[in-house]
Amino acid sequence: MSQVAPDSAPVVDADPAIRLRDVTVRFPSERGVVTALEAINLTVPRGGFLTLLGPSGCGKSTLLRVVSDLLPATSGEVSVLGTTAKAARARRDIGFVFQDASLLAWRTALENVELPLEVGGGDKRRSAQKPRELLALVGLSGWEGAYPHELSGGMRQRVAIARALVNDPKLLLMDEPFGALDEITRDRLNEELLRLWENTGATILFVTHSIYEAAFLGQQVMLMAARPGRVREVVPVTLANPRHIAMRETPQFIELAAHLRRVLEGC
Amino acid sequence: MAAPALSSSSANQVFVADDATQAQFEAAARMAAWRRRLLPLGAAILLLVVWQVAVVVFQIRPFIAPAPTAVVATLADKFWLLVSNLAPTAVEAIAGFLIGNSAAILLATVFVHQRTAEEAFFPIAVMVHTIPVMAYAPILVLLLGNGMEAKVAIAALICFFPTLVNMTRGLRSVSPQQMELMRILSASPSEIFFKLRLKSSLPYLFSALKIASATSVIGAIVGEWIGATTGIGALIIQATYNFDSPLLYATIVVGSVFSAAFFAVISWLERVFLKWNVSQTA
Repeated sequence: MSQVAPDSAPVVDADPAIRLRDVTVRFPSERGVVTALEAINLTVPRGGFLTLLGPSGCGKSTLLRVVSDLLPATSGEVSVLGTTAKAARARRDIGFVFQDASLLAWRTALENVELPLEVGGGDKRRSAQKPRELLALVGLSGWEGAYPHELSGGMRQRVAIARALVNDPKLLLMDEPFGALDEITRDRLNEELLRLWENTGATILFVTHSIYEAAFLGQQVMLMAARPGRVREVVPVTLANPRHIAMRETPQFIELAAHLRRVLEGC
Repeated sequence: MAAPALSSSSANQVFVADDATQAQFEAAARMAAWRRRLLPLGAAILLLVVWQVAVVVFQIRPFIAPAPTAVVATLADKFWLLVSNLAPTAVEAIAGFLIGNSAAILLATVFVHQRTAEEAFFPIAVMVHTIPVMAYAPILVLLLGNGMEAKVAIAALICFFPTLVNMTRGLRSVSPQQMELMRILSASPSEIFFKLRLKSSLPYLFSALKIASATSVIGAIVGEWIGATTGIGALIIQATYNFDSPLLYATIVVGSVFSAAFFAVISWLERVFLKWNVSQTA
Protein backbone atom coordinates (compact mmCIF):
# COMPACT_ATOMS: atom_id res chain seq x y z
CA MET A 1 0.00 0.00 0.00
CA SER A 2 1.59 3.26 -1.02
CA GLN A 3 0.80 6.28 1.05
CA VAL A 4 1.27 9.92 0.31
CA ALA A 5 3.25 10.50 3.51
CA PRO A 6 4.21 7.27 5.24
CA ASP A 7 4.47 7.65 8.98
CA SER A 8 8.02 6.23 9.06
CA ALA A 9 9.36 8.81 6.62
CA PRO A 10 10.42 12.26 7.81
CA VAL A 11 7.48 14.65 7.73
CA VAL A 12 7.45 16.14 4.26
CA ASP A 13 4.39 18.28 4.59
CA ALA A 14 4.30 19.87 8.03
CA ASP A 15 0.98 21.63 7.41
CA PRO A 16 -1.27 19.49 5.23
CA ALA A 17 -4.92 20.30 4.48
CA ILE A 18 -6.08 16.96 5.84
CA ARG A 19 -4.34 14.39 7.99
CA LEU A 20 -6.12 11.23 9.12
CA ARG A 21 -4.36 8.73 11.42
CA ASP A 22 -5.89 5.33 12.06
CA VAL A 23 -9.37 6.70 11.61
CA THR A 24 -12.02 4.08 12.22
CA VAL A 25 -15.80 4.63 12.02
CA ARG A 26 -18.28 2.06 13.32
CA PHE A 27 -22.08 2.17 13.35
CA PRO A 28 -24.36 0.02 15.46
CA SER A 29 -27.04 -1.63 13.31
CA GLU A 30 -29.66 -4.36 13.62
CA ARG A 31 -27.27 -7.01 12.35
CA GLY A 32 -24.44 -5.91 14.58
CA VAL A 33 -21.82 -3.22 14.53
CA VAL A 34 -20.74 -2.22 11.00
CA THR A 35 -17.24 -0.98 10.29
CA ALA A 36 -17.66 1.78 7.69
CA LEU A 37 -14.00 2.83 7.73
CA GLU A 38 -11.10 0.76 9.04
CA ALA A 39 -7.81 2.37 10.13
CA ILE A 40 -7.60 5.05 7.43
CA ASN A 41 -4.30 6.89 7.12
CA LEU A 42 -4.27 9.77 4.70
CA THR A 43 -2.52 13.05 4.12
CA VAL A 44 -3.68 15.58 1.54
CA PRO A 45 -1.41 18.59 0.92
CA ARG A 46 -2.82 22.10 0.82
CA GLY A 47 -4.07 22.91 -2.64
CA GLY A 48 -4.27 19.23 -3.54
CA PHE A 49 -6.99 17.50 -5.51
CA LEU A 50 -7.72 14.00 -4.28
CA THR A 51 -10.36 11.83 -5.89
CA LEU A 52 -11.88 8.94 -3.95
CA LEU A 53 -12.81 5.96 -6.09
CA GLY A 54 -14.29 2.68 -5.00
CA PRO A 55 -17.32 0.37 -5.05
CA SER A 56 -20.56 1.21 -3.23
CA GLY A 57 -20.27 0.80 0.51
CA CYS A 58 -16.53 1.42 0.65
CA GLY A 59 -17.01 4.42 2.93
CA LYS A 60 -16.14 7.21 0.47
CA SER A 61 -19.05 9.37 1.59
CA THR A 62 -18.41 8.45 5.24
CA LEU A 63 -14.86 9.73 4.86
CA LEU A 64 -16.11 13.12 3.58
CA ARG A 65 -18.51 13.30 6.52
CA VAL A 66 -15.75 12.62 9.03
CA VAL A 67 -13.60 15.36 7.49
CA SER A 68 -16.53 17.84 7.56
CA ASP A 69 -17.52 17.05 11.17
CA LEU A 70 -20.88 15.60 10.15
CA LEU A 71 -19.87 12.23 11.61
CA PRO A 72 -17.55 11.58 14.54
CA ALA A 73 -14.67 9.15 14.12
CA THR A 74 -14.99 6.18 16.49
CA SER A 75 -11.23 6.23 16.99
CA GLY A 76 -8.19 7.85 15.41
CA GLU A 77 -7.04 11.37 14.81
CA VAL A 78 -8.63 13.82 12.38
CA SER A 79 -6.84 17.04 11.56
CA VAL A 80 -8.31 19.49 9.05
CA LEU A 81 -6.42 22.65 8.02
CA GLY A 82 -4.25 22.46 11.11
CA THR A 83 -7.12 22.12 13.56
CA THR A 84 -10.05 19.85 14.37
CA ALA A 85 -12.78 19.18 11.82
CA LYS A 86 -15.27 20.94 14.11
CA ALA A 87 -13.19 24.11 14.35
CA ALA A 88 -12.57 24.13 10.59
CA ARG A 89 -16.28 23.79 9.95
CA ALA A 90 -17.11 26.54 12.44
CA ARG A 91 -14.58 28.84 10.71
CA ARG A 92 -16.37 28.23 7.38
CA ASP A 93 -13.23 26.70 5.91
CA ILE A 94 -15.21 23.77 4.51
CA GLY A 95 -17.56 23.82 1.53
CA PHE A 96 -19.68 20.77 0.71
CA VAL A 97 -21.36 19.83 -2.57
CA PHE A 98 -23.88 16.97 -2.43
CA GLN A 99 -24.88 14.52 -5.12
CA ASP A 100 -28.36 15.99 -5.48
CA ALA A 101 -27.71 19.72 -5.55
CA SER A 102 -29.81 20.09 -2.35
CA LEU A 103 -31.00 23.52 -3.36
CA LEU A 104 -33.87 25.01 -1.40
CA ALA A 105 -36.81 24.88 -3.79
CA TRP A 106 -38.35 28.15 -2.56
CA ARG A 107 -35.21 30.17 -3.18
CA THR A 108 -34.05 31.47 -6.52
CA ALA A 109 -30.59 30.55 -7.79
CA LEU A 110 -29.15 33.77 -6.34
CA GLU A 111 -30.93 33.33 -2.98
CA ASN A 112 -29.59 29.78 -2.76
CA VAL A 113 -26.05 31.05 -3.24
CA GLU A 114 -26.69 33.65 -0.51
CA LEU A 115 -27.93 31.08 2.04
CA PRO A 116 -24.52 30.45 3.69
CA LEU A 117 -24.24 34.19 4.36
CA GLU A 118 -27.59 34.22 6.18
CA VAL A 119 -27.16 31.36 8.64
CA GLY A 120 -24.71 30.40 11.37
CA GLY A 121 -23.04 33.81 11.38
CA GLY A 122 -21.71 33.19 7.87
CA ASP A 123 -21.93 36.86 7.02
CA LYS A 124 -18.55 37.50 8.65
CA ARG A 125 -16.81 35.37 6.07
CA ARG A 126 -17.51 36.53 2.55
CA SER A 127 -15.85 35.50 -0.63
CA ALA A 128 -14.06 38.29 -2.49
CA GLN A 129 -16.63 37.62 -5.18
CA LYS A 130 -20.27 38.55 -4.61
CA PRO A 131 -22.95 35.85 -4.99
CA ARG A 132 -23.94 37.34 -8.34
CA GLU A 133 -20.35 37.13 -9.57
CA LEU A 134 -20.05 33.55 -8.35
CA LEU A 135 -23.12 32.64 -10.39
CA ALA A 136 -21.49 34.24 -13.41
CA LEU A 137 -18.30 32.31 -12.62
CA VAL A 138 -20.20 29.01 -12.89
CA GLY A 139 -21.81 30.19 -16.15
CA LEU A 140 -25.23 31.17 -14.84
CA SER A 141 -25.46 34.92 -15.37
CA GLY A 142 -29.01 35.70 -16.44
CA TRP A 143 -30.43 32.90 -14.30
CA GLU A 144 -30.26 34.67 -10.90
CA GLY A 145 -34.04 34.78 -10.54
CA ALA A 146 -34.76 31.23 -11.68
CA TYR A 147 -36.17 28.70 -9.20
CA PRO A 148 -34.48 25.28 -8.95
CA HIS A 149 -37.30 23.49 -10.81
CA GLU A 150 -36.68 25.79 -13.78
CA LEU A 151 -33.03 24.71 -14.01
CA SER A 152 -31.53 21.59 -15.55
CA GLY A 153 -29.63 19.09 -13.42
CA GLY A 154 -26.28 20.49 -14.53
CA MET A 155 -27.36 24.06 -13.79
CA ARG A 156 -28.58 23.10 -10.33
CA GLN A 157 -25.20 21.55 -9.60
CA ARG A 158 -23.50 24.75 -10.78
CA VAL A 159 -25.63 26.72 -8.30
CA ALA A 160 -24.61 24.26 -5.56
CA ILE A 161 -20.94 24.82 -6.41
CA ALA A 162 -21.37 28.61 -6.33
CA ARG A 163 -23.10 28.23 -2.95
CA ALA A 164 -20.18 26.16 -1.62
CA LEU A 165 -17.75 28.89 -2.73
CA VAL A 166 -19.54 31.86 -1.18
CA ASN A 167 -17.57 31.63 2.10
CA ASP A 168 -14.29 31.23 0.22
CA PRO A 169 -13.58 27.78 1.69
CA LYS A 170 -10.06 26.41 1.85
CA LEU A 171 -11.39 22.88 1.52
CA LEU A 172 -14.10 21.76 -0.88
CA LEU A 173 -15.71 18.35 -0.31
CA MET A 174 -17.68 16.97 -3.23
CA ASP A 175 -19.80 13.83 -2.86
CA GLU A 176 -20.45 12.48 -6.38
CA PRO A 177 -21.63 15.91 -7.48
CA PHE A 178 -21.91 14.99 -11.17
CA GLY A 179 -23.10 11.40 -10.67
CA ALA A 180 -26.63 12.06 -11.88
CA LEU A 181 -25.70 14.14 -14.94
CA ASP A 182 -25.43 13.10 -18.56
CA GLU A 183 -21.94 12.45 -19.86
CA ILE A 184 -21.57 15.58 -22.00
CA THR A 185 -22.60 17.86 -19.13
CA ARG A 186 -20.36 15.94 -16.76
CA ASP A 187 -17.32 16.34 -19.04
CA ARG A 188 -17.92 20.05 -19.33
CA LEU A 189 -18.35 20.49 -15.59
CA ASN A 190 -15.19 18.43 -14.97
CA GLU A 191 -13.15 20.88 -17.03
CA GLU A 192 -14.81 23.87 -15.36
CA LEU A 193 -14.14 22.42 -11.92
CA LEU A 194 -10.42 22.10 -12.73
CA ARG A 195 -10.36 25.79 -13.77
CA LEU A 196 -12.06 26.72 -10.49
CA TRP A 197 -9.56 24.66 -8.53
CA GLU A 198 -6.62 26.31 -10.28
CA ASN A 199 -8.07 29.78 -9.67
CA THR A 200 -9.13 29.40 -6.04
CA GLY A 201 -6.21 27.34 -4.74
CA ALA A 202 -8.63 25.36 -2.57
CA THR A 203 -8.02 21.75 -1.58
CA ILE A 204 -10.61 19.43 -3.11
CA LEU A 205 -11.76 15.97 -2.04
CA PHE A 206 -13.95 14.51 -4.76
CA VAL A 207 -15.91 11.25 -4.45
CA THR A 208 -16.88 9.49 -7.67
CA HIS A 209 -17.91 6.15 -9.14
CA SER A 210 -16.32 6.94 -12.48
CA ILE A 211 -12.77 5.77 -13.21
CA TYR A 212 -12.37 8.40 -15.94
CA GLU A 213 -13.62 11.22 -13.76
CA ALA A 214 -11.32 10.14 -10.91
CA ALA A 215 -8.26 9.97 -13.17
CA PHE A 216 -9.03 13.16 -15.08
CA LEU A 217 -9.66 15.36 -12.03
CA GLY A 218 -7.30 14.08 -9.35
CA GLN A 219 -3.71 14.90 -8.65
CA GLN A 220 -3.99 11.65 -6.68
CA VAL A 221 -6.60 8.93 -6.85
CA MET A 222 -7.37 7.08 -3.64
CA LEU A 223 -8.77 3.63 -4.37
CA MET A 224 -10.92 2.19 -1.63
CA ALA A 225 -12.18 -1.33 -0.90
CA ALA A 226 -15.48 -2.18 0.77
CA ARG A 227 -16.54 -4.18 3.83
CA PRO A 228 -14.81 -2.80 5.75
CA GLY A 229 -14.02 0.49 4.00
CA ARG A 230 -10.27 0.80 3.72
CA VAL A 231 -7.61 2.40 1.53
CA ARG A 232 -6.45 0.08 -1.22
CA GLU A 233 -3.93 2.26 -2.96
CA VAL A 234 -3.16 5.92 -3.52
CA VAL A 235 -2.17 6.45 -7.15
CA PRO A 236 -0.45 9.70 -8.15
CA VAL A 237 -1.70 11.11 -11.46
CA THR A 238 1.14 12.35 -13.62
CA LEU A 239 -0.93 14.08 -16.32
CA ALA A 240 0.22 17.61 -17.10
CA ASN A 241 -1.74 20.60 -15.80
CA PRO A 242 -3.88 22.33 -16.96
CA ARG A 243 -5.87 19.40 -18.26
CA HIS A 244 -8.28 19.17 -21.15
CA ILE A 245 -10.92 16.58 -21.94
CA ALA A 246 -8.94 15.49 -25.02
CA MET A 247 -6.18 14.24 -22.70
CA ARG A 248 -8.39 11.28 -21.95
CA GLU A 249 -7.46 9.87 -25.35
CA THR A 250 -3.69 9.87 -24.67
CA PRO A 251 -1.98 6.48 -24.09
CA GLN A 252 -0.80 7.76 -20.70
CA PHE A 253 -4.38 8.37 -19.56
CA ILE A 254 -5.67 5.08 -20.95
CA GLU A 255 -2.91 3.21 -19.16
CA LEU A 256 -3.74 5.00 -15.90
CA ALA A 257 -7.44 4.21 -16.25
CA ALA A 258 -6.61 0.57 -16.98
CA HIS A 259 -4.47 0.39 -13.87
CA LEU A 260 -7.24 1.89 -11.73
CA ARG A 261 -9.71 -0.62 -13.19
CA ARG A 262 -7.44 -3.56 -12.39
CA VAL A 263 -7.04 -2.43 -8.78
CA LEU A 264 -10.81 -1.85 -8.47
CA GLU A 265 -11.59 -5.31 -9.78
CA GLY A 266 -9.39 -6.71 -7.06
CA CYS A 267 -11.35 -4.82 -4.39
CA MET B 1 -37.32 34.76 -17.40
CA ALA B 2 -34.06 36.15 -18.67
CA ALA B 3 -32.60 34.81 -21.89
CA PRO B 4 -30.83 31.51 -21.39
CA ALA B 5 -27.17 32.49 -21.34
CA LEU B 6 -25.81 29.03 -22.06
CA SER B 7 -27.95 27.97 -24.99
CA SER B 8 -28.49 31.31 -26.70
CA SER B 9 -26.35 30.25 -29.65
CA SER B 10 -28.78 27.50 -30.62
CA ALA B 11 -31.96 29.43 -29.82
CA ASN B 12 -32.41 30.65 -33.39
CA GLN B 13 -32.42 27.14 -34.77
CA VAL B 14 -34.76 25.79 -32.10
CA PHE B 15 -37.58 28.29 -32.59
CA VAL B 16 -38.60 28.70 -36.20
CA ALA B 17 -40.89 31.51 -37.34
CA ASP B 18 -43.93 29.55 -38.55
CA ASP B 19 -46.88 31.78 -37.67
CA ALA B 20 -49.56 29.56 -39.19
CA THR B 21 -48.56 26.47 -37.21
CA GLN B 22 -48.09 28.58 -34.07
CA ALA B 23 -51.55 30.17 -34.48
CA GLN B 24 -53.10 26.73 -35.00
CA PHE B 25 -51.42 25.45 -31.84
CA GLU B 26 -52.58 28.43 -29.79
CA ALA B 27 -56.15 28.17 -31.10
CA ALA B 28 -56.24 24.49 -30.09
CA ALA B 29 -54.96 25.37 -26.62
CA ARG B 30 -57.62 28.10 -26.22
CA MET B 31 -60.30 25.69 -27.40
CA ALA B 32 -59.22 23.10 -24.82
CA ALA B 33 -59.29 25.73 -22.06
CA TRP B 34 -62.85 26.81 -22.98
CA ARG B 35 -63.99 23.18 -23.15
CA ARG B 36 -62.70 22.61 -19.61
CA ARG B 37 -64.75 25.57 -18.33
CA LEU B 38 -67.89 25.33 -20.47
CA LEU B 39 -68.57 21.58 -20.31
CA PRO B 40 -69.17 21.41 -16.52
CA LEU B 41 -71.21 24.63 -16.70
CA GLY B 42 -73.34 23.20 -19.52
CA ALA B 43 -73.85 19.96 -17.59
CA ALA B 44 -74.94 21.92 -14.49
CA ILE B 45 -77.46 23.97 -16.50
CA LEU B 46 -78.76 20.76 -18.10
CA LEU B 47 -79.31 19.13 -14.69
CA LEU B 48 -81.17 22.23 -13.42
CA VAL B 49 -83.41 22.18 -16.50
CA VAL B 50 -84.13 18.45 -16.02
CA TRP B 51 -84.99 19.16 -12.37
CA GLN B 52 -87.28 22.08 -13.30
CA VAL B 53 -89.06 20.04 -15.99
CA ALA B 54 -89.45 17.05 -13.64
CA VAL B 55 -91.04 19.22 -10.93
CA VAL B 56 -93.51 20.70 -13.43
CA VAL B 57 -94.30 17.51 -15.36
CA PHE B 58 -94.69 15.20 -12.34
CA GLN B 59 -96.36 17.95 -10.30
CA ILE B 60 -94.00 17.42 -7.36
CA ARG B 61 -95.22 19.40 -4.38
CA PRO B 62 -92.91 22.25 -3.30
CA PHE B 63 -92.26 20.93 0.23
CA ILE B 64 -90.90 17.63 -1.19
CA ALA B 65 -88.66 19.22 -3.80
CA PRO B 66 -88.90 22.86 -4.85
CA ALA B 67 -88.26 23.88 -8.45
CA PRO B 68 -84.94 25.69 -9.10
CA THR B 69 -86.92 28.81 -9.99
CA ALA B 70 -88.62 28.71 -6.58
CA VAL B 71 -85.22 28.43 -4.88
CA VAL B 72 -83.91 31.39 -6.86
CA ALA B 73 -87.03 33.40 -5.96
CA THR B 74 -86.48 32.62 -2.26
CA LEU B 75 -82.82 33.60 -2.56
CA ALA B 76 -83.92 37.00 -3.83
CA ASP B 77 -86.89 37.49 -1.43
CA LYS B 78 -85.14 36.41 1.74
CA PHE B 79 -81.67 37.66 0.86
CA TRP B 80 -81.24 39.66 4.08
CA LEU B 81 -82.53 36.82 6.25
CA LEU B 82 -80.03 34.47 4.61
CA VAL B 83 -77.12 36.88 4.89
CA SER B 84 -77.86 37.72 8.53
CA ASN B 85 -77.83 33.99 9.28
CA LEU B 86 -74.66 33.41 7.28
CA ALA B 87 -72.76 35.99 9.35
CA PRO B 88 -72.61 34.05 12.65
CA THR B 89 -71.79 30.80 10.83
CA ALA B 90 -69.00 32.50 8.90
CA VAL B 91 -67.55 34.02 12.07
CA GLU B 92 -67.65 30.64 13.84
CA ALA B 93 -66.10 28.80 10.89
CA ILE B 94 -63.30 31.35 10.40
CA ALA B 95 -62.55 31.61 14.14
CA GLY B 96 -62.53 27.81 14.44
CA PHE B 97 -60.31 27.57 11.36
CA LEU B 98 -57.79 30.01 12.82
CA ILE B 99 -57.77 28.50 16.32
CA GLY B 100 -57.74 24.84 15.21
CA ASN B 101 -55.02 25.29 12.62
CA SER B 102 -52.84 27.48 14.85
CA ALA B 103 -53.03 24.87 17.60
CA ALA B 104 -52.20 22.10 15.12
CA ILE B 105 -49.22 24.02 13.71
CA LEU B 106 -47.89 24.73 17.21
CA LEU B 107 -48.29 21.11 18.31
CA ALA B 108 -46.64 19.84 15.10
CA THR B 109 -43.70 22.16 15.82
CA VAL B 110 -43.42 20.69 19.33
CA PHE B 111 -43.67 17.14 17.92
CA VAL B 112 -40.83 17.74 15.47
CA HIS B 113 -38.53 19.03 18.21
CA GLN B 114 -39.63 16.64 20.98
CA ARG B 115 -39.99 13.05 19.82
CA THR B 116 -41.15 12.07 23.31
CA ALA B 117 -44.11 14.45 23.07
CA GLU B 118 -45.06 13.00 19.70
CA GLU B 119 -44.85 9.42 20.93
CA ALA B 120 -46.96 10.29 23.98
CA PHE B 121 -49.65 12.49 22.42
CA PHE B 122 -49.98 11.43 18.79
CA PRO B 123 -51.88 8.21 19.60
CA ILE B 124 -54.28 10.28 21.75
CA ALA B 125 -54.83 12.70 18.86
CA VAL B 126 -55.62 9.74 16.58
CA MET B 127 -58.13 8.36 19.10
CA VAL B 128 -59.89 11.71 19.48
CA HIS B 129 -60.03 11.98 15.70
CA THR B 130 -61.90 8.66 15.41
CA ILE B 131 -64.81 10.08 17.47
CA PRO B 132 -67.48 11.36 15.02
CA VAL B 133 -68.29 15.10 15.16
CA MET B 134 -71.93 14.33 15.91
CA ALA B 135 -70.80 12.45 19.02
CA TYR B 136 -68.57 15.08 20.60
CA ALA B 137 -70.54 18.12 19.48
CA PRO B 138 -73.18 17.76 22.26
CA ILE B 139 -70.40 17.36 24.83
CA LEU B 140 -68.87 20.66 23.74
CA VAL B 141 -72.25 22.39 23.84
CA LEU B 142 -72.72 21.11 27.41
CA LEU B 143 -69.24 22.32 28.34
CA LEU B 144 -69.27 25.69 26.59
CA GLY B 145 -72.95 26.57 26.52
CA ASN B 146 -75.31 27.57 23.74
CA GLY B 147 -73.29 30.53 22.51
CA MET B 148 -70.76 30.87 19.75
CA GLU B 149 -67.94 29.32 21.81
CA ALA B 150 -69.18 25.76 21.38
CA LYS B 151 -69.53 26.15 17.59
CA VAL B 152 -66.08 27.68 17.31
CA ALA B 153 -64.67 24.79 19.37
CA ILE B 154 -66.34 22.19 17.13
CA ALA B 155 -65.04 23.90 13.98
CA ALA B 156 -61.56 24.14 15.54
CA LEU B 157 -61.52 20.46 16.52
CA ILE B 158 -62.62 19.31 13.10
CA CYS B 159 -59.76 21.33 11.46
CA PHE B 160 -57.18 20.29 13.98
CA PHE B 161 -56.34 16.71 13.09
CA PRO B 162 -55.70 16.86 9.31
CA THR B 163 -53.48 19.89 9.83
CA LEU B 164 -51.58 18.25 12.70
CA VAL B 165 -50.81 15.15 10.59
CA ASN B 166 -49.88 17.12 7.46
CA MET B 167 -47.85 19.74 9.27
CA THR B 168 -45.86 17.13 11.20
CA ARG B 169 -45.11 15.33 7.93
CA GLY B 170 -44.29 18.62 6.22
CA LEU B 171 -41.85 19.75 8.90
CA ARG B 172 -40.12 16.39 8.60
CA SER B 173 -40.02 16.46 4.78
CA VAL B 174 -36.49 17.86 4.80
CA SER B 175 -33.91 15.79 2.93
CA PRO B 176 -30.92 14.41 4.88
CA GLN B 177 -28.58 16.39 2.60
CA GLN B 178 -30.39 19.65 3.34
CA MET B 179 -29.96 18.93 7.06
CA GLU B 180 -26.28 18.17 6.52
CA LEU B 181 -25.92 21.43 4.61
CA MET B 182 -27.39 23.38 7.52
CA ARG B 183 -25.07 21.59 9.96
CA ILE B 184 -22.02 22.39 7.85
CA LEU B 185 -23.16 26.02 7.91
CA SER B 186 -23.43 25.82 11.75
CA ALA B 187 -27.09 26.89 11.50
CA SER B 188 -28.89 27.36 14.82
CA PRO B 189 -32.05 25.34 15.59
CA SER B 190 -34.22 28.40 14.93
CA GLU B 191 -32.49 29.04 11.58
CA ILE B 192 -33.06 25.40 10.63
CA PHE B 193 -36.70 25.75 11.61
CA PHE B 194 -37.50 29.02 9.86
CA LYS B 195 -35.23 28.76 6.82
CA LEU B 196 -35.66 25.05 6.13
CA ARG B 197 -38.40 23.13 7.94
CA LEU B 198 -41.16 25.75 7.85
CA LYS B 199 -40.67 26.45 4.14
CA SER B 200 -40.54 22.74 3.28
CA SER B 201 -43.79 22.20 5.16
CA LEU B 202 -45.80 24.84 3.26
CA PRO B 203 -47.08 22.56 0.46
CA TYR B 204 -48.25 20.07 3.11
CA LEU B 205 -49.76 22.83 5.24
CA PHE B 206 -51.75 24.30 2.37
CA SER B 207 -53.25 20.96 1.35
CA ALA B 208 -54.42 20.61 4.98
CA LEU B 209 -55.75 24.19 5.06
CA LYS B 210 -57.80 23.56 1.91
CA ILE B 211 -59.43 20.56 3.59
CA ALA B 212 -59.92 22.62 6.77
CA SER B 213 -61.59 25.51 4.91
CA ALA B 214 -64.45 23.19 3.96
CA THR B 215 -64.63 21.17 7.18
CA SER B 216 -64.63 24.25 9.45
CA VAL B 217 -67.95 25.32 7.84
CA ILE B 218 -69.32 21.82 8.42
CA GLY B 219 -68.23 22.03 12.06
CA ALA B 220 -69.96 25.38 12.59
CA ILE B 221 -73.21 24.13 10.98
CA VAL B 222 -73.21 20.89 13.01
CA GLY B 223 -72.71 22.97 16.16
CA GLU B 224 -75.71 25.12 15.24
CA TRP B 225 -77.89 22.04 14.75
CA ILE B 226 -77.43 21.10 18.37
CA GLY B 227 -78.57 24.38 19.72
CA ALA B 228 -78.68 27.81 18.13
CA THR B 229 -81.22 30.46 17.23
CA THR B 230 -79.28 32.00 14.36
CA GLY B 231 -76.89 30.70 11.75
CA ILE B 232 -77.02 28.54 8.62
CA GLY B 233 -77.40 25.40 10.77
CA ALA B 234 -80.30 26.87 12.77
CA LEU B 235 -81.99 28.03 9.57
CA ILE B 236 -81.66 24.53 8.05
CA ILE B 237 -83.36 22.96 11.08
CA GLN B 238 -86.05 25.65 11.16
CA ALA B 239 -86.83 25.39 7.43
CA THR B 240 -87.00 21.59 7.64
CA TYR B 241 -89.48 21.63 10.54
CA ASN B 242 -91.63 24.21 8.73
CA PHE B 243 -91.58 22.18 5.49
CA ASP B 244 -90.21 25.35 3.87
CA SER B 245 -88.18 23.51 1.23
CA PRO B 246 -87.38 26.53 -0.97
CA LEU B 247 -85.83 28.25 2.09
CA LEU B 248 -83.99 25.03 3.03
CA TYR B 249 -82.48 24.77 -0.45
CA ALA B 250 -81.66 28.47 -0.55
CA THR B 251 -79.91 28.16 2.81
CA ILE B 252 -77.83 25.26 1.51
CA VAL B 253 -76.90 27.30 -1.57
CA VAL B 254 -75.73 30.21 0.63
CA GLY B 255 -73.72 27.85 2.85
CA SER B 256 -72.05 26.21 -0.16
CA VAL B 257 -71.21 29.53 -1.77
CA PHE B 258 -69.49 30.65 1.46
CA SER B 259 -67.62 27.34 1.71
CA ALA B 260 -66.46 27.59 -1.91
CA ALA B 261 -65.37 31.21 -1.42
CA PHE B 262 -63.38 30.28 1.69
CA PHE B 263 -61.70 27.45 -0.27
CA ALA B 264 -60.94 29.85 -3.13
CA VAL B 265 -59.26 32.33 -0.77
CA ILE B 266 -57.00 29.59 0.64
CA SER B 267 -56.18 28.36 -2.88
CA TRP B 268 -55.27 31.90 -3.87
CA LEU B 269 -53.01 32.26 -0.82
CA GLU B 270 -51.39 28.95 -1.78
CA ARG B 271 -50.61 30.26 -5.24
CA VAL B 272 -49.14 33.45 -3.74
CA PHE B 273 -46.96 31.66 -1.17
CA LEU B 274 -45.96 28.66 -3.28
CA LYS B 275 -44.86 30.30 -6.50
CA TRP B 276 -41.74 28.16 -6.30
CA ASN B 277 -43.61 24.89 -6.05
CA VAL B 278 -43.42 22.79 -9.22
CA SER B 279 -46.93 21.39 -8.83
CA GLN B 280 -48.31 24.96 -8.66
CA THR B 281 -46.59 26.36 -11.73
CA ALA B 282 -46.63 23.27 -13.95
